[in-house]
Amino acid sequence: MMRFNDIKREAGFVFAHRQFKLTLLVVFLLSTAALWSGHAEMQAQQATIERLLEKDTQEREAVLNHQSSYGMVAYYAFHLTYAPPSPLAFAVVGERDVFPWKHRVRMLALEGQIYESDTDNPELAFLGRFDFAFVVSVLLPLFIILLLYDLKAKEREARRFDLLNVTARNSHAVWTSRTLVTLVPLALVTLLPFVAFAIVNGASLSSILLACVIVLGTISVWSAIVLAIGAAQRFAKYSATHLASLMLGVWLITTVIVPVTGHTVINAAVETPEGGDIVLTQREAVNGAWDKPVEETWEKFIETHPQWADYTAYDPKRDGSFNWKWYFAFQQVGDESASELSNAYQQSTIRKNQLAGYVSLLSPSLLTQRLLSNTASTNVQSMIDYENKVRAFHASLREFYYQQLFAAPEFSKSSLKRLPQFTTTSQFTTPMNTQENTNEK
Amino acid sequence: MIDQTIKTICAEQWRYWLRTKVATTVLILGSVLTLTALVINTFHIEEAAHAREHLQGEAEQRFLSQPDKHPHRMVHYGHYVFRTPTPLSVIEPGVDTYTGNAIFLEGHRQNSAMFAQQRESAGLTRFSSLTPSFLALVLAPLFIILIGYGSVSREREAGTLTLLLTQGASRWQLVLGKLVALMLASSIFLLPLLLACLYVAFSNESALVVTLFCLGYALYFLLWAVVVTACSTLFEKSSASFTVLIVIWMSACILLPRMGSSVATSVEPSIGKLEADFKVEEKLRSLGDGHDVNDPAFVTLKQDLLDKYNVDSVDDLPVNFRGIVAQYSEQRQAVVINEFAESRMQEELAQARIARQFGWLSPTVALRSFSTLLAGTSIETHHRFLREAEILRMQFVQGLNKVHVEKLDYKLDMNRNSSEEAADKAVVEASNWAVLSEFSFEPEAPMARLSSAAMYCLQLLLWVGVAVLLLKLAVRRLNP
Repeated sequence: MMRFNDIKREAGFVFAHRQFKLTLLVVFLLSTAALWSGHAEMQAQQATIERLLEKDTQEREAVLNHQSSYGMVAYYAFHLTYAPPSPLAFAVVGERDVFPWKHRVRMLALEGQIYESDTDNPELAFLGRFDFAFVVSVLLPLFIILLLYDLKAKEREARRFDLLNVTARNSHAVWTSRTLVTLVPLALVTLLPFVAFAIVNGASLSSILLACVIVLGTISVWSAIVLAIGAAQRFAKYSATHLASLMLGVWLITTVIVPVTGHTVINAAVETPEGGDIVLTQREAVNGAWDKPVEETWEKFIETHPQWADYTAYDPKRDGSFNWKWYFAFQQVGDESASELSNAYQQSTIRKNQLAGYVSLLSPSLLTQRLLSNTASTNVQSMIDYENKVRAFHASLREFYYQQLFAAPEFSKSSLKRLPQFTTTSQFTTPMNTQENTNEK
Repeated sequence: MIDQTIKTICAEQWRYWLRTKVATTVLILGSVLTLTALVINTFHIEEAAHAREHLQGEAEQRFLSQPDKHPHRMVHYGHYVFRTPTPLSVIEPGVDTYTGNAIFLEGHRQNSAMFAQQRESAGLTRFSSLTPSFLALVLAPLFIILIGYGSVSREREAGTLTLLLTQGASRWQLVLGKLVALMLASSIFLLPLLLACLYVAFSNESALVVTLFCLGYALYFLLWAVVVTACSTLFEKSSASFTVLIVIWMSACILLPRMGSSVATSVEPSIGKLEADFKVEEKLRSLGDGHDVNDPAFVTLKQDLLDKYNVDSVDDLPVNFRGIVAQYSEQRQAVVINEFAESRMQEELAQARIARQFGWLSPTVALRSFSTLLAGTSIETHHRFLREAEILRMQFVQGLNKVHVEKLDYKLDMNRNSSEEAADKAVVEASNWAVLSEFSFEPEAPMARLSSAAMYCLQLLLWVGVAVLLLKLAVRRLNP
């Protein structure tokens, strides 16, 4: 049984150490600095999206005003797509600095556009991001080790150990309450700034609570590891620093060795098509089409778009000097020729992510990182969802323009009002495969 | 010659390490890790180099084997360039996995690099990576600490320090003996790295660069050995020395590099490519559409040309006016595009430089800048790749435009959309595709890399100086 008096006494002891107060201050500053930098980053991303949206509308208006045929509009008009940061993204930047979160797409073959990434400075990305998730998953365990490794040994060295055990009503209670008065303040200095930033960013209560639970879970797991090593009978004769080395060893294996081994094994196990192959295949199909008989393109296009079989006829007088229908048809065929590779590329990313999930069960730090980035929707899946949203949006563009190009060739600016708009919420049509989308209609 | 007392103390220390589990485990773990990392990374880089060279060859061959066609079709057919990794990226892959390694080159547009490999790691390697440089920069110092934190303080705790000093060993001899022992231990982690450098030196990298690269890492290891020995001498208790060293390691190796990159983003925010593209387009619109000879932007160009050849209409010009317009507008577009590309690269460079200033606060950052710059895996090399790709782009696009001007009749060209036969006539021979020159990417010249790395070498040397001073102070304060 712990009593309030025990806790009060231990708190007195623990807080009397300058080292402890200093550690708390450092953790508080690190947590705040990480949160602030993530917050600033997300504010900047949000602002970028707003500026881009405004520019995008202006630019498209300007382009639309100059065009006189659907083909020209489709060729020149770009559309902005983006994945806004979630309210919790400030705490876990996650995959947002590796996967693209903004694109401008037009009606041309999508495979040539979707892999373009407008990512941040690669040198900074490579140095690593200093976000809250990093503080919690990588640094916090080290602080826990530093605070708890000599929990008992410190007293032994000061020759207070036996005295403490004798004077306390219950010898267990001394260590339990001492651990608690160490960990509770540690959790508080980590989480209080987080909660403050989360409220400022408008995160939902449930997501804040979930993130707090994950952080508390991390603290508990690491405290358990540290205390278990410290209390293990077989290490009873080890010195405190010797024990600390063991604890650091556990940190090293779980935080560094498990992930890099996992990465190497996963990369070897999951076959990924070479990115270069996708784009070369697509280019060959798109640009090669100029030199192929027109019928060849139509044949392939009609296979997937039978509804336009009777509309392929081309009237230079009406459609202008250039056959836009055929032009966009071979863009579509180009995408289709690369779609198998492209699907395989995405599938391999998903598969790797799945396997990484299993690997993270062996590494508390990875698990924390992944759970937090799931909570903040900055995980691989969210980035893939965004990519598929872009694909679906592009499919809806195609659907719109095909309707205009094939069925209603009379150009009218008013019809452009029905141009699909990218939104982050709507699902457009079924994601994953552009081919199927256009098939359904 | 190292004197006998130092030798004895050093040998004693080794005997102690070989007896204790922690030290032997760390030594074995460290060397196995470095070796594994080297082997895996070497295979990986060689494979990547091979794949990219192959793709490059294939892209070129496909370009050249295109049939007779309209030259502007080839401008849009475009070309791919791939960046092959540099020899030293076997040890220091640097930004290579974070930048794309393929760029599509086409007329009227400057595309960004595609397919950053980091995407494929599913977040596993965000903190750590199995690269020799990560092991050397981040883990090796931890290993050195684990082995050496108690080397002097243990003697004091056991009471043997007084014994040693009274038996005639000087304080310097004692501390140097411990230091030499620790340096020998850390060279076990360094050795695989040096072997890898030897391998690189025998492939095709400048010997001077490789030597300095090795020296940089050797200095870094020495630095840590000195710091660890100094702390062990300064603090009375092993546990105090241990705690302080772990805190130093956390800040220098883990915290400060990341803080550097966070500070750099907030001090020098950069607008992304998309946003810059809008500005580019705004400017480009005023330059006219190169596909349309009747664009008002080309009125003066037309008049100048008519005056020059003293004819009344473009039909009578000895050159293809459509080609002239394409050439002219591509040139003007390129000026705008490159102005923005250049300012974007400058922004990125400014950010990188801010992050590298953290080398004055952490030797890890100093060595990282030094080693990426020497290895040619820094942002500078990536920028050079972008610039060279742009030169190639302009060269083949303008080459094709020149063919368009000189070898394609204007009337045939304007008439090309009237019928299929007319389209078949508006082509040039495939032999003209030879305007494409081969692309092979090489890192900067060794001297250029050396001069840009010099500053970070200075940072590193400063740190060594600080460490030596610390050691001196520790020795002076060493009392049993």
